[in-house]
Amino acid sequence: MKRIIFYIILTLFLFNNNTYAQSDELVNVCALDIGNATYLKDFKVKLQQSNVKPPPCTKFSVVLNKGTIYQFNVCDAAGYEGKAILKLLDHSKLLGSNKKGDGTLMKAFGFQCQKTGVYNIQISFNNGKQGAAVAILSFMNVK
Amino acid sequence: MFRKLFYLIFVSLIIVSCNSSNKNEENISEDIEIPDSIFDDKPLIISEEAMSDIIENISSPVEMAALLKETGVPFSKKYLCDVKRIDKLNTNFKRALNLGILSSDMGYLNMYDKTGSVMSSMSAIKSLTDDLRIGQFFDFETIKRLAINHENLDSLMYISVSSFNNMDSYLRETNRSDVSSLIVVGTWVEGMYFATQVAKTAPEGHKIIERIGEQKLILNDILLILKNYQNDKHFYDLVQDFESIKEKYNDVKITYTVGDPESREINGMLIIVTNDESHVEISKEQLTEIVKIIEKVRNKLINL
Repeated sequence: MKRIIFYIILTLFLFNNNTYAQSDELVNVCALDIGNATYLKDFKVKLQQSNVKPPPCTKFSVVLNKGTIYQFNVCDAAGYEGKAILKLLDHSKLLGSNKKGDGTLMKAFGFQCQKTGVYNIQISFNNGKQGAAVAILSFMNVK
Repeated sequence: MFRKLFYLIFVSLIIVSCNSSNKNEENISEDIEIPDSIFDDKPLIISEEAMSDIIENISSPVEMAALLKETGVPFSKKYLCDVKRIDKLNTNFKRALNLGILSSDMGYLNMYDKTGSVMSSMSAIKSLTDDLRIGQFFDFETIKRLAINHENLDSLMYISVSSFNNMDSYLRETNRSDVSSLIVVGTWVEGMYFATQVAKTAPEGHKIIERIGEQKLILNDILLILKNYQNDKHFYDLVQDFESIKEKYNDVKITYTVGDPESREINGMLIIVTNDESHVEISKEQLTEIVKIIEKVRNKLINL
């Protein structure tokens, strides 16, 4: 019985610390994909499987500035079935997503901002599957 | 037996949850020296969650520096604050504000690849973050190596910016949004200081003037977060300073035209272009007044 208790505690400790370490590590890996763009911030998402329609999402908001081309990179954590879908909205108006019309998911897309203001970002996982992901917001250096 | 097992699991869960909230932390749960009056049971005007959203919404200092560089504005050391006076800052209110100011300076230096000067800013930042007990978020050794060897400048920028982001998230997660808000305010003021100094001699219609005008949108958010703590005299004074700035923005107009988004491909990447557009109307007189008030407030903050 003591051995069982020891393993329970050990598992809880390891699981807890790994969750943080993994998401930070994923940010570092994902940042390698931004190319010549300049990193601004990252958004970490982890959602459980859900049968609710539409699937649950995590929401963020961010100020984007006129005259800047922003880049959104999406990276999924290994070991989860869910693939992240990022939507960029101006209030409730959908401006763009990494999900194309044919359903395929892009790793990155850009957004040329012409209106300074607060924009909303929603991240969910395809078909409400369990998933963990990181999205990186950067801006492209246009010469 | 089962009762013992239950207690053991319960205790281990508590230990784990404590471990989680104290990540990277050694004795830093104890809050900084911002007066206790702020933390009294007076309710916040807005929730911590709403505060977080607002703070997230204030643009990165790097963007302002990037705009200066992109529009051909040459680097000028005279815009930077003097790091020698950092050791004289004797309260955490002053330290947090000046940490924000230095973060803008560092973004500016990084953007112009002035790695030599990054190190002196970094030493000052280390001193301030240690005093504020949030130094654990900066990998100073790596930053130093990248700066000294002038290697991988993208990494230097990434590490610097992400360290600040992580520190800011941590402050808000641990209900220290007051500290976070001061850092954000310092960052904003310094970014505006760069912009307004450049705007003094910028031709009419320069992008930087439009960016200065657009800050009208941010000012209300900044005031909203500062007013949360205005029971404290220092915060109250800061609110007054920001009210003065806001007053100078009263007649700046921002209008919008509406259009549908379209997409195009640039360098192999799908780019969505929104055709909604914002337009700023700011007169020369209004700009002059804004330049003056920003200079006054910024100089007050660095001489606290």
